Amino acid sequence: MSHTLHRCGKPDDLNRDFVVFSMSAKTVNAMGSGPKMKRFFEILRKYPAVNFGDVKTGSRFNSDWQTIHDGYKDQSVAHYVFSDAAAVGDILKELKAADLGISVIVSGVFDTVATLCRDAGLPVHTVQFSGGVLGRTERLPPGPVLAITTMCGHGLVSANLVKKMATQVQKGEKSLSEAAAELAKPCMCGVFNTERAERLLREIN
Amino acid sequence: MQIDRERCTCCGECIAICPVSAIRLRKKDAAAGLKAQAVINRDECVECSACFRSNVCPEGAIQEEPLEWPRILRKAFSDPVYTHKGTDIPGRGTEEMKTNDVTGRFRDGFIGIGLEFGRPGVGARFRDAEKAIRKLLPLGVQLEPKNPLTQLIADPATGALQPEVLNEKVLSTIVEAIIPVERFPEVVAAVHAIAAEADTVISFGVISKVAPDGSVPAVKAMQAAGLTPSINGKVNVGLGRPLFPF
Repeated sequence: MSHTLHRCGKPDDLNRDFVVFSMSAKTVNAMGSGPKMKRFFEILRKYPAVNFGDVKTGSRFNSDWQTIHDGYKDQSVAHYVFSDAAAVGDILKELKAADLGISVIVSGVFDTVATLCRDAGLPVHTVQFSGGVLGRTERLPPGPVLAITTMCGHGLVSANLVKKMATQVQKGEKSLSEAAAELAKPCMCGVFNTERAERLLREIN
Repeated sequence: MQIDRERCTCCGECIAICPVSAIRLRKKDAAAGLKAQAVINRDECVECSACFRSNVCPEGAIQEEPLEWPRILRKAFSDPVYTHKGTDIPGRGTEEMKTNDVTGRFRDGFIGIGLEFGRPGVGARFRDAEKAIRKLLPLGVQLEPKNPLTQLIADPATGALQPEVLNEKVLSTIVEAIIPVERFPEVVAAVHAIAAEADTVISFGVISKVAPDGSVPAVKAMQAAGLTPSINGKVNVGLGRPLFPF
């Protein structure tokens, strides 16, 4: 479930895209972790977020914060998406102080995340890199479209939907924010960054 | 998935939502007694339920259907809302590095790899993943036992999957394994050979625990193997309480 890996795009754009999420280990600390997951979700609520969610209950764009919060159970995974690195830095400091004892993962540009960790007094414990896409790459959509679809690591945001939304924006049938919100709906985890999608839709047009 | 032919008005709203382009509009065929409507190519459909959940159909014509083995695997590996019976977690992978600060799954001297067949957005059939497992096992890789693909292996010696699953198409499926750092170059060479034969795309993920001196073994290993590590990815920030010292 490397659902926040393989997000592709230009460095400047990727550097305004952070996913902060928490997961318990099924065989170790999952039992009784539901309230901790709720606490994690409450802490992150104080910061300016682009999206949030849980695969079982949905995201900001197809559910609501309270429903998602109340639905957290022992094996849930809580996600938040931010554009602002400084907010992520403050979150890490607050999570360190909260000492919930469950795993926290940050997806983003490594150099930036490493700096945020250092400033928060946290280690970079384990990392996961993308080694690229291999095989029949001629089947992939063009750059900006792919940059949007890869924000849903489960692959539920289709390239055809991106093209349809880009066309509707071009024709004036939808605003950029309305189109980005439509694109966020299929992503059930809430890891889709709509602010980034708006920038990329502008690029397509 | 299926489309109720009586309810469908052939408006085409559902076409774009499908991640694998399995929905098309069929023209009216008076001779055959068929009206114009949207139809799902069942061989290409991965049962992700994106069309159903979107409520894109104004007539409610898109419906889920009961799925039998082995077709149920399409849903299990494509719809992240579905919880795998074998792993008890949603999604098509495992906890991998996300809980490594607690579990110690990836330790010093080892590298984790994930070959995700079909990602991004193309889809894959299990036969391609089987070919990869057959090539990787002789290299001494240790497959992740909790991965739902590993659980489809019928013969652990060869990596052969249960034969009835091979043609099932899914949004993606991941070969997850752990290898000693020193074997990484030959595994990467095998991965390139696997990709050259694959009838889909493969997203390649590489995991390592940060070494005690602060270096990242995965970066050195990837560069030595001719791979360029991505500038972005996932960082476990070590806030989980470890099960044991490692």
